[in-house]
Amino acid sequence: MVNVKEYLERPTFVLIILVLVAIALAKLLRLETTDYLITIMFFIGIAMSLNLIMGFAGYVSFGHTVFLGISGYIFALIVYYNVWLAEMLDTLFGIPIFLVAIVAGGVSALVAFLVGVPVLKLRGAFFAIATIGLDFAALYIVKAFIPIINPEFFGAQIILPAYALAYKNNVFVAMYITFALVLITNYVVRRSRFGMGLLAISEDEDAAEALGVPTRKYKLLAFALSAFFTGMLGAIFGLNAGGVDENLFNLAHTIDMIVMIVIGGIGTVMGPLVGSIIYFILYDTLLVTYPEFNLVILGSIVAVLVLFAPRGIIGIIRGKTIRGKRLRDIIE
Amino acid sequence: MDVIIKIDRVTKRFGGLVALNKVSFNIYKGEILGVIGPNGAGKTTLFNCITGVYSPDDGRIYFNGVDITGMPPHKITQLGIVKTHQIVKPFNEFTVLENAMIGALFGKRAGKISKEEAREIALKNLKLVGLAEKKDELAIGLTLHEKKFLELARVLSAEPDVILLDEALAGLNPKEVEESLDIIKMINKDLGKTIVMVEHVMHAVMNIAERIVVLHFGQLLAEGTPKEVAEMPEVITAYLGDKDLALKFVRR
Repeated sequence: MVNVKEYLERPTFVLIILVLVAIALAKLLRLETTDYLITIMFFIGIAMSLNLIMGFAGYVSFGHTVFLGISGYIFALIVYYNVWLAEMLDTLFGIPIFLVAIVAGGVSALVAFLVGVPVLKLRGAFFAIATIGLDFAALYIVKAFIPIINPEFFGAQIILPAYALAYKNNVFVAMYITFALVLITNYVVRRSRFGMGLLAISEDEDAAEALGVPTRKYKLLAFALSAFFTGMLGAIFGLNAGGVDENLFNLAHTIDMIVMIVIGGIGTVMGPLVGSIIYFILYDTLLVTYPEFNLVILGSIVAVLVLFAPRGIIGIIRGKTIRGKRLRDIIE
Repeated sequence: MDVIIKIDRVTKRFGGLVALNKVSFNIYKGEILGVIGPNGAGKTTLFNCITGVYSPDDGRIYFNGVDITGMPPHKITQLGIVKTHQIVKPFNEFTVLENAMIGALFGKRAGKISKEEAREIALKNLKLVGLAEKKDELAIGLTLHEKKFLELARVLSAEPDVILLDEALAGLNPKEVEESLDIIKMINKDLGKTIVMVEHVMHAVMNIAERIVVLHFGQLLAEGTPKEVAEMPEVITAYLGDKDLALKFVRR
């Protein structure tokens, strides 16, 4: 029996519901364009996907753009070569989009699993460097082979045919479901035994293994899960953009994801969620007001934050107490 | 007495260095076994071989008759052998209670107990080592002595049959050593756990252990009761230095 009152006392859960309701309301009341909301969900979603491996297990992956890219291309190729499927995308409230995105995300999860077997043996900076290498390798493979598949994919660019471009509302629904899944998975994992094991790994991997945590299995699982959701979001985002090109592999996307997590606070669910919302708002407003300097300003803000609050916004407040209860215990 | 762990001609090399050279001995159920020897004798390597951190180059290790050689550490933990670390490794950002809960959640009954049960087991063991009042504090704030007790509570929460203590007493003051010894005795007598301890605090180990194993340059130098070992000439030259002093420790 689910105790509603108990859930309402958990701020992270309430925040997740608020974010989901806010986006649904914004869509229904047409406060913003659908495109804008899809972009917001994409940004927050990829940060929360990376959070599963980086936030919980402490493995900073610079290679997550690979999964955006792989799934983006897989999705585009499936749609390009299956006309019947492409024509179906615009039906059934976006469910077909969601299902094809699951397939595309699954490919990323599989790649993450295979790559993870050797790469997750590395720790700290070495893991990070290996994943950067992964990103470059994937980029050049795609650049070399995509034009070979079909000369129309000139410059490794796949432009989706017009009949595949779904009505925006259906793309929105598919993105919304995926986004909700990512947030809920984060919440469930954080409170589970699996989540505790991952956090133990991020604290001290040897001690975790010695206490019975199957560290290899858990790391692989978290990496694959993280890649799966990143891939799904990349696939739907690619559809929304009307096609994919090598820019999906741009390392800058990964940096964005990492910064969003660090601003909010590593090791929590609320942190990256708050962090990514703040980052997106900052990024968006700065881009409009100071188009030449937005990255300079944003970079400085991030640098100052990391210097003075290495564990992010949540890190500043988690030691404080309210009515005798430590915020840390309430938040997490 | 029943053999719980059988170490059979275990050899471990690091490059040209032979850290363990055909070491064989038995660990009996319910005993306190002390492992002593000079630095570099292979004591910690032996522990790491038993717990699966290292895979021996040669030889086998049996636990309750099951060959555990080369198993990953977490499997061996779940079978029932757990060790504490020479350099304490608490999960700093976890509370004291959460630290102990990890032991329960992933220990011998991994996957079979709920979080609530794990919490109870953890609390029980924190009480046992006297850390129950600090259960909601972060582990990073504990003193070294408390961190060592936390390691013990964490390991106990895994509900093992055998506990390996790697220099659990190092760095403690005499009063803390006494406290620790009482707890170790209680774990052995009341909870029935087999205890193997690597230790340099000689009066402590000679006093508490029922049997002693002496390692020297990776080889088994001697095996026997504390009194027997303290009188062996080769042990005295290799490690103890002074026979009278060694015997004094035993008598205390």
